[in-house]
Amino acid sequence: MLFLKLAWRNLFRNIRRTLLTVMLISCSLAALIISDGTIAGLVEKMENTIIRTLTGEGQIHHKDFMDDFDSDLMINNPDRVIDGIKTKTDVMDYAPRIMIGGMIASSYNMTGGLIYGVDPERELNVSRIKDALIAGEYLSGADRQILMGKRMAELLEVTLHDRIVLTVAQVGTGETSQELFRLSGILEFGPREMDERFAFINLATAQRLIASEDGVHQIVVRFRDPALAKNREHPLYKSLTHGDIEAISWLDFNPSITSIIQISNFVTIILGGVLFFIVSLGVINSLFMSIYERIHEFGIAKAMGTTPGNIIQLVMLEALIITIVSCLLGGTIGYLSSSWFSVYGLPIGEFEVSGIAIDGSIKTKVLAQQFVLFPTYIVLITLAAALYPALFASRIVPAVALHGLYKGLYNGKCD
Amino acid sequence: MENVIETRDLCRYFGDEDVRVKALDHVSVEITRGEFTAIIGPSGSGKTTLLHLVGGLDNPTAGQVLLSSTNIADMSSAALSDFRRDHIGFVFQAYNLIPVLSASENIDYIMLLQGVAATERQHRVKEMLALVGLEGLGNRRPGHLSGGQQQRVAVARAMASNPDLILADEPTANLDSATGIALLDIMRDLNRNHGMTFVFSTHDQKIMDRAQRLIHLEDGQVVRDKSK
Repeated sequence: MLFLKLAWRNLFRNIRRTLLTVMLISCSLAALIISDGTIAGLVEKMENTIIRTLTGEGQIHHKDFMDDFDSDLMINNPDRVIDGIKTKTDVMDYAPRIMIGGMIASSYNMTGGLIYGVDPERELNVSRIKDALIAGEYLSGADRQILMGKRMAELLEVTLHDRIVLTVAQVGTGETSQELFRLSGILEFGPREMDERFAFINLATAQRLIASEDGVHQIVVRFRDPALAKNREHPLYKSLTHGDIEAISWLDFNPSITSIIQISNFVTIILGGVLFFIVSLGVINSLFMSIYERIHEFGIAKAMGTTPGNIIQLVMLEALIITIVSCLLGGTIGYLSSSWFSVYGLPIGEFEVSGIAIDGSIKTKVLAQQFVLFPTYIVLITLAAALYPALFASRIVPAVALHGLYKGLYNGKCD
Repeated sequence: MENVIETRDLCRYFGDEDVRVKALDHVSVEITRGEFTAIIGPSGSGKTTLLHLVGGLDNPTAGQVLLSSTNIADMSSAALSDFRRDHIGFVFQAYNLIPVLSASENIDYIMLLQGVAATERQHRVKEMLALVGLEGLGNRRPGHLSGGQQQRVAVARAMASNPDLILADEPTANLDSATGIALLDIMRDLNRNHGMTFVFSTHDQKIMDRAQRLIHLEDGQVVRDKSK
């Protein structure tokens, strides 16, 4: 208790130095919390942008379909798969789709694109196609409706209700099939690729167009809890994967995002490492300055019978108090800042990560681990850093300290 | 009389082979219980070095410092700390006290290290403050005490652990004459009435006048050892 009191009071001997050390540690912790929250927010935004916008959290498709989107590789008996999905209570909804590459032409221009045949009602719970609608009407199931991205519409120089001709190859025979549509809606997802290359028609129309009868290319799944989708061992994936059909998580069919998430974790580690290193140097510097100012006092204390262990205890307690105060302050600053950015967002403008356009602002994520793990790491790092000056202080030779000769010139040895 | 501490052929050399300074050269002295002794001599004669070696603050180059037949020069670091805590009280020239602790806490500190129970510590702190005439000033920190009062707290602290020997290194050097005399009178009373053993290192004539024994050092050697 005496050493705790002594340690506490020692911190007020040079308030400016103590405050600077506290600010260094607390600002580092706050920076780490905000950075981690920002990275988590960025990852979530990417997940939302790519996965929840269209690709879904889980997919069931022919195991070779994703290699080159060969339209012959279909789920020919989708009802059996859908019956399997319906038995999984973790699944919120599902949506069967046709995906075909084809030519999309207007009276003025033509382009290649990816045409999705979708069930408009089911897509409402699985994707955000309807949310991306900026003009016209969403699909109703009627024939000849087509939605396309804003950039594609601009390229084809079409407006609502203009005529569009789709040309695709039929399944099996490869014969060309062509149909006329009327542009019923224009979409804006954000990512450039989606707005330039994607078009959407009704599922039944698509099946007729490619002569696939009931077959679909993929069934997209959305879970009640998005975190479940990342569990590769989930029963949905296990039970529906058989033969040529595979059921996989978005982690597997969106490897670029998975890589980005892994990189972002690495970035947090690097950032944390740099900040922890700076904190360590700051603590070592501060404690050494404090010890050098008190060498005579340590000499007196040791003359009275204070053991080297007592001295180590005292210096470590000083470091611990500084760290605890810093963590409380840094945690508060980090929490308030991160909470504010989680509501109002961190303005980042528009940029692309691995071809994924991210725009607007990132809403930071406030996570419990940021306030448990990071302060724990800071405490451990600080105590480890404090050990060096503490050992130095414990080895101060009383006779030398009392002579005021502590400059390493003394060849005497006592303790 | 019982020896409190004894040195045998005690040597302390500084520097290397080329530039060797013999701070102490084969010094043998015996300090018996209840002495009020002054080690005197010119600057650089080895007074403080002898005090440090006797107090276990430094290790000798050669020779022995014996406490009850135990050579403290052979003790480990931790054992030396315990030895100082339990057997030796120190009063230094200045900046004696821990500045962030009050007078009472400074006296309490050493007893805490000894593991004395809280109630006994409180009683002893009051007793020590009364002995040095500082009743009512226990809550003041050193910065709010005069130099003389600080030295009196240092004496009280040195006595608090009930040591065999109190070593005082120029205790009056930073005090004015009247304050120095008052402090010496306190120490002399403690010596006479409580049997405390004091050894001073000093240039101060006032201490020499009051000392029962004068050990005169020159060039690291005892040139005179005279009891009054």
